[in-house]
This record gives sequence, structure tokens and C-alpha cells, in this order.
Amino acid sequence: MKKVPIYIIVAVITFAIGYNVNARYFSNRRPVQPIAFSHKIHAGDNDIPCLYCHIYANKSRVAGVPSVQRCMGCHKVIKTDSPKIQKLTHYWESGEPIPWIKVHNLPDHVYFTHKRHVKAGVECQSCHGDVEEMDVIARVASLKMGWCLRCHMNEEVKNGKDCWTCHK
Amino acid sequence: MLNRRDFLKLIGLGGVSTGAGFVLKEAMEPPVAKLIPYLVPPEDTVPGVANWYAGLCTQCSAGCGVITKTMEGRAKKIEGNPLHPINRGKLCARGQAGLQVLYNPDRVKGPLKRVGKRGEGEFREVSWEEGLSILSGNLKDLTNRNEAGKLYLLTSALRGHLTSLLVSFMDSFGSSNYFQYELFNNSNLIYANSVTIGSGAIPDYDIANTRLLLSFGADFMGTWLSPVRYARSYGDMRQGRPGVRGRFVQIEPRLSMTGASADEWVPVRPGTEGILALSIAYLIVEERHYRGADAKRWMDMLKRYNPDEVAGEIDISVRKIGELAEEFVEGGPSLAIGGDNLASYDNGIGNLVAVNVLNYLAGSIGHKGGVLLNGKDKTFKRKSVPYAQLTKLGDSALEGDIETLILYNTNPLFTAPSGMKLGASLENIPLIVSLSSFMDETTGMADLILPAHTSLEDWGDDFADHGAGYSVATVMQPAVSPVFDTKGVGDVFLALAASLGPGFKKDFPWRSFGDFLKDAWKKIYRRNRGSGIKERSFEDFWSRLLAAGGWWTPSPKISGAVNLSVGKASSHIPSAAAGFDGDSDKFPFFLTVYSHSAFLDGRGANLPWLQEMPDPMTSVVWGTWVEMNPKTARHLSLKEGDMIRVESPYGEIHAPLYLYPGIRPDTVAVPIGQGHTSYGRYAKERGDNPLAILPPRVDTRTGALALNSTRVRVFKSTRSGKLVKMEGSARELGRGIVQTVSNKEFKKMGKEA
Ligand code: SF4
Repeated sequence: MKKVPIYIIVAVITFAIGYNVNARYFSNRRPVQPIAFSHKIHAGDNDIPCLYCHIYANKSRVAGVPSVQRCMGCHKVIKTDSPKIQKLTHYWESGEPIPWIKVHNLPDHVYFTHKRHVKAGVECQSCHGDVEEMDVIARVASLKMGWCLRCHMNEEVKNGKDCWTCHK
Repeated sequence: MLNRRDFLKLIGLGGVSTGAGFVLKEAMEPPVAKLIPYLVPPEDTVPGVANWYAGLCTQCSAGCGVITKTMEGRAKKIEGNPLHPINRGKLCARGQAGLQVLYNPDRVKGPLKRVGKRGEGEFREVSWEEGLSILSGNLKDLTNRNEAGKLYLLTSALRGHLTSLLVSFMDSFGSSNYFQYELFNNSNLIYANSVTIGSGAIPDYDIANTRLLLSFGADFMGTWLSPVRYARSYGDMRQGRPGVRGRFVQIEPRLSMTGASADEWVPVRPGTEGILALSIAYLIVEERHYRGADAKRWMDMLKRYNPDEVAGEIDISVRKIGELAEEFVEGGPSLAIGGDNLASYDNGIGNLVAVNVLNYLAGSIGHKGGVLLNGKDKTFKRKSVPYAQLTKLGDSALEGDIETLILYNTNPLFTAPSGMKLGASLENIPLIVSLSSFMDETTGMADLILPAHTSLEDWGDDFADHGAGYSVATVMQPAVSPVFDTKGVGDVFLALAASLGPGFKKDFPWRSFGDFLKDAWKKIYRRNRGSGIKERSFEDFWSRLLAAGGWWTPSPKISGAVNLSVGKASSHIPSAAAGFDGDSDKFPFFLTVYSHSAFLDGRGANLPWLQEMPDPMTSVVWGTWVEMNPKTARHLSLKEGDMIRVESPYGEIHAPLYLYPGIRPDTVAVPIGQGHTSYGRYAKERGDNPLAILPPRVDTRTGALALNSTRVRVFKSTRSGKLVKMEGSARELGRGIVQTVSNKEFKKMGKEA
């Protein structure tokens, strides 16, 4: 019976390992996308503003993934020899949208609107992290209620603590 | 220290906990969601932001304006158009359920051709080309054989430019047989108004400004004329004027939903409503409240309606009639209206004329709070809709005069009394083509089904009845792209025209019905410049029209006094109570059938929202029921929920019993709407159709169908069935749910305070 503490310690440590292995390598915080798109190249190295591709962010609830047409607008001519771009061209030519995997996914009972946040002058980076430095897009924020509220309270958002502001 | 066994145990434990940690984290993650972009984004769509399209509600003939919320190309919700003068942003339950017409899983999803025997419901899918070529081949045959007149077309009571397209198609083809049928139509009201007040246009009943409303069987908040509009007027009558609360008396054998809002219910004997109106009129003249020069002649004519003479027949006490007469003339304005229930006897016209006489003698015609007369609608001529047209169609079919019948938006096999034997007549028609989007009873008999768009997918317009006090033209535009492989009705006819040869095509040069409609509106634009929407160019006018959902202007009111002569009135008023089939010994009860507030004439029964909506008076869902006074039921030893057989000389129906104190002991009532034998999974085999036991009895003057025209007897049925209702008990059972004080107590309380 005196070995019980050892068992517990081993169990806890290995549990934590399992948990973290999943979080780091299998999590959809950082999923493998159908095309290995780099935000670093676009938003960082080439300085393309966020709203150039995410055109609805200041107009709608959703920011909008760029349409395949928008990608092709540049990539008809730019870097057409890269295999990644050829993959893109293939989607375009076969008339299929690219099935991106959602990184920032809010449950249905949360009403979130990009428009309000963008109009209030919140930087995209405050929630999405330094996207312009990410080769692979990853979620940096927890997107949990506490996380939202911390900002709502720090910034003294009007009605920011009201349940109905986000759950309606 | 640690032996081999322990070491292995630890390794095992470690493995299991690692796995547990991994799985726990996995379970905490939300499931992977995809983010699918547009290939090419549509111009006018912002994902997440709704687009609203103005349109028209086609669930009843009131013609309310709607706006439809669409997101990413899908219709999500229908609301009332706030600009529209008829419904002013409001919508009834049927209008709301319009969404389920669009997305109904039982829609006919593409053209079908019959393969089995007629009526067996076996169809094969065909392409639109094949479907249209079958029909156009048939039409060419008719022309070659010189039998163009044997093409018949039957639609609902359409009022828009679609009608003009259909009329000119039939004209060009050489057939004059375009008929319209609608179970609930205003043909009796129009007739009665034109013989008494000189205008067939439906007047504007100014309920909002009246002080006393006498409603003779008008369910004006549920189904009559323009329910959404009149429900609003009712609110204004009660609460819209500071210090004035209009009084409202409902006169009908069975208390309707509207009647439940009345201050008083007068349960008159079925078929004698007109006589009651005239005996009130008699008292008005007798008490010298009518001061016209012809008072003496009115007196002579109305003498035989002296309450002392007729009170027994109408089963209302002389005192009550006196009170009603007194109220009607004192402290006006007062208004009497006559609804569907009143119009649906075989003396329906007479009853409606009697109501007008009452209004006339009390001086309510042409005055605020009374009957406001509308000028004739010049914008558009519409066909009259008597039941007689359907009878004629049935006769022609029987005689073999119909080679081809095209049906649109009408289901006469369900809505015509079975005493008419329409089904057997239709059997004689070699080719029946239905343009219905649903497999209703009549469509089930078709040889070819070319399904039409629903109202959210199609172009169209509508000129609502003038009753609104406005000339209203509502436009309808596609709010979503077609959900299934359907076509607009107008487009079907244009395609047919194109296939019938160059001569025909010349008359119908439009590429689509949308183009046709736009062209037609150019004429209105030119004619009505200056009123309604003002724009310099037609294109601007058109886009503003589509944005607003239509065009409206206060309708031309008829000014000048109306003169109703005694002679004119006397030749139309009812000389006797309405007739009923079945003699009173064998069939002791009057049968009242009424339109269900959700299904109307049965068209709404395929929409699950409406099936689930409890009837406002009984709270019954999902079926037909029979209403009977509790006293009568006790007498017959029947109890609530018992399955009942209701028998008329023409047949029988079975439905559970509902004990309803709001009905005369000598009357039973059954709602219309259920009892479909097809029409989709939600409508099929639910309840029974009371129209099946009605005689084909008509109003002798207009040929309009008399719904309340048979007596019945009731027995306990051997069938099984359940009464499904929301309410536990309609009684308070001493629970004090509704607190009341009597007038006397109230006055005493006032003094004490
Ligand atoms: S009354 Fe109801 S069903 Fe009729 S048109 Fe208006 S909203 Fe539609």
C-alpha cells in the first residue's frame, strides 16, 4: 500500500503528457489545411491588409474566407510554378471551393460579430495573434467566455457584461 | 524497491493514463468544422447579412404584402411588409407558414407523367422538354381537328397580370373556357353590394371608427375578406380612440374566433340572420329614426318583419331585437357587416342585402365609422368567381366537351361538395394537366404534372380587393432561386405559345414571364404617373416598385348619397329562412361548416406549422372535430372525445366530439380543411372533410355554393379516433382564473373607494 503515491504520480504525469501531445500535435488549434497557405508570406512579407481578403469583416458577422476567385485574381500570374498554387488552380479549374478547416470556431449559442469589433477599432491581432508571422495559421486565444469577458471588462464595453449581448 | 511486477504495472498504468489524457483533450475540442468559401461570390450577398425581398402573400385572397428574409440565398423568415397599406407590417399564421410551402418535402420535384391507371398515383419523371412537348402536341392536335374550344383552363381566383396572360393565351388559342374557382369567394357580397349600393367593388368597412359593430357571421379577424387588416381595425375600434370603446355584437349560430372577442353573442337560428337584420330595420323605421321621404313605403315593406311576428322563427326575444335596434341608431356611427357564414345559405344574397338595408336606414353608408364606398377598380378587370363556373365545367366534362383540362392552383376535388360528383365528370377528360407544385387530390388524377414555382420563387403581381380603402398593386419577385425543377406558370404558357407556331409566337414575344410583367407595368407607369411612386424613368420606377413591394394610392371614394329604393331592396331581401336538405324529423341538427382559421379551404393542411397550431377556440390540433352544445350531448348521452358519425342525406363523416358551449343546441359545426386523401405526408389521412356530405345546393340568384344547407343527424361511431387538444378543461372549475365582478358590484366598489 505504500506504493500508492508512486502510482498516483505516474498516472498524473502520463495523463498530462497524453493531454499535451494531443493539444500540441493533434489539436485543431493548428490543423493541417488542404493547401499549405502561409499568412506570413501574404500578410507579413507582402503586407497585404487583412481586409483585402477577408472582405466582410467590417460588414458582417463573419469575416469571410476569400473566394477562390479572389485567390486566382493574383495567382493567375504570381508563382504559377509552385505546386501549392497549382493545387489552387486545380480547385479553380474544377470549379470546387477549397475545403478549409475552421480554426476559430465558436459554438452556436454565441453571437459574435466581426463588424462591431472591427468598427470599434479592435486590431485583428488582439484575437487572432500575430497572424502575419504565422506560416501555419493557429489559434492563440482560448475563445472561452472568460477570455471574452476579460477584454469586455478592461475596455469597459457598453453592455459588455450583459448576457444578451452575446447570447441571443 | 521496485520489483519487476510493479514496474510493469506502472508502465501499464502510464500507458492508460496517457491515452486517457489524449482522449479527454480530444473530447473537449469542438468537432472539426469546414470553412467553405464561395468560388465566385455573388454580387448582392454578404454572408451573415440578410437580404430582404418584398413580395406577396398568396396563402389567401386578402393580398397582404410580405418581405422575405434571405441569407446566402435561402429564405429564412417571412414578415409583413411595413409599407403595405393592407397589413402594415403584420402577418397572420398562414402567411408565416408560407415558408413551408417553399421548402415542403412533399413538393412535386419535377415534371411527371402518369404511368399507371388514372388516379392510382403512379408517375414517371420526365424532362421539361418532354412534358411540354406532350402538352403542346396535344394542343396542336386540337387546333388541327378544329377543336380548340375543347381546351379548358381552371385556376384559382388570380387577380394579377398572370390572368391577362392566361386570358390572351386562351383567346389566341381559340377557346373561351378559362374558369376560376375558389371555395370562399366574395361573389355574393359583390352581387349584393351592386344591387343595393350601386357598386360591386368591395367597400371599406370602417370598423376602426365605429361605435357599434353588428357583425352577422363575419369572422373578420380570422378568415373574412382581409383578416390582418380588420384585426387591426378592431384594435383601433376598442382602444384607438381615447375615451371611446366601440361596442361589438356578433350574431351567428356558432361562435367564431372573432365572435369570442365580442361584447355580446346573439345565437340566431341558422338561416334567419337576414330576417333578424330586417326586423331591426323595421324597428328603426317604426321608431322614426329613418327620416327619408319614403319612410312610409319602407314601413309597408318591412311590416312583415315585425319582431312580434318573426321573433319565434329567428329564436331571439322581442326584447333583445328592440335593444339591438336601439343601440344601432343611438350614439352612432354604427356599422353592420355580413360575413361568409351569412353569405353561405341559399338565401345568402338576401341576407347580405338585408344587412345593407340596415346600414342604409341607419344612415351608415358613406359615413365615417360606417360603410365607405370604393369606386370601381379601373386598373384591372377581374373575372367573377361563382361556383357556377365549376358546375359548368363539370357539365361540359360529362358531355365530353373537354378534350384537355389545365389546372393551376386549385383543388376542386377537395373543395367542391361531393354531391356535385366532379370526380366522375373529370374521368371523361382525355388529358388532364396539372401545374400544381403539390400532389393534391385533383393533381392525383392528372395525366401530366408540370409543377409550377411557389410564390417565393416566381414573378407576379396582385390587385387586391378595394376593400382596403386603397388601390393596391402588390408585386412579387423571386426571393430565392427555385428549390426544385419547377417553372413559373407564366413561363409554362409562354413556352407553350412558342411551340405552337410562328403566328402564335408573334403574339407572345416575351422571353420570360418576368419580361411580360415588366412590360405590363410600363402601361401602369404611364397611366398613373403622378400618384404613388414618382420617378422620371421607368427603370427607376420599376426598381423602386420592387423595393417597396408594390404601388398604392387611396382608392377613389364614391361621393354623393346612395339611394336605395324600396323596390330594389324588396326584390332581393329574403322572404323566408334559408332552406336545408333533409327533413327535421330524420335530421334534427343544422350543420354549419366553417373555414378553419389555419387551413382555410384545406390549402394549408400540408404545412406542419399549421397542423401544429391549436385552433383558437377549441385548441384542437391534427384533426377534424365536431362541435356540439354540452346540453345536446348530455341529452344524447355523448361525451367529449367520443367518435361521432355525422350523417346528412348525402353521406357521412366521422370525427371526435368537442363540447362547445358557443353553439346553439340545435346546430353542430365542423371545420373545413382536413380530410385530405393525398396532398403530402402532413395532410394525408387526417380527419374527415365535411364538404363530402354537403348537397350541391346553390344560391338561387348567383349560383354561389350554399355551404350551410343541410341538416344532419349524429350517432356514436364505431370507428376509433382521438380528440387531440391542448386545453385540459375549458372551465374554471372554481379556480378563479378569470376574475370578474358584476356591473352592480363594480358600481358599489366605486362608491366605497
Ligand atoms: S390574411 Fe394572412 S394568409 Fe391572407 S394574405 Fe394576409 S397574411 Fe396572407
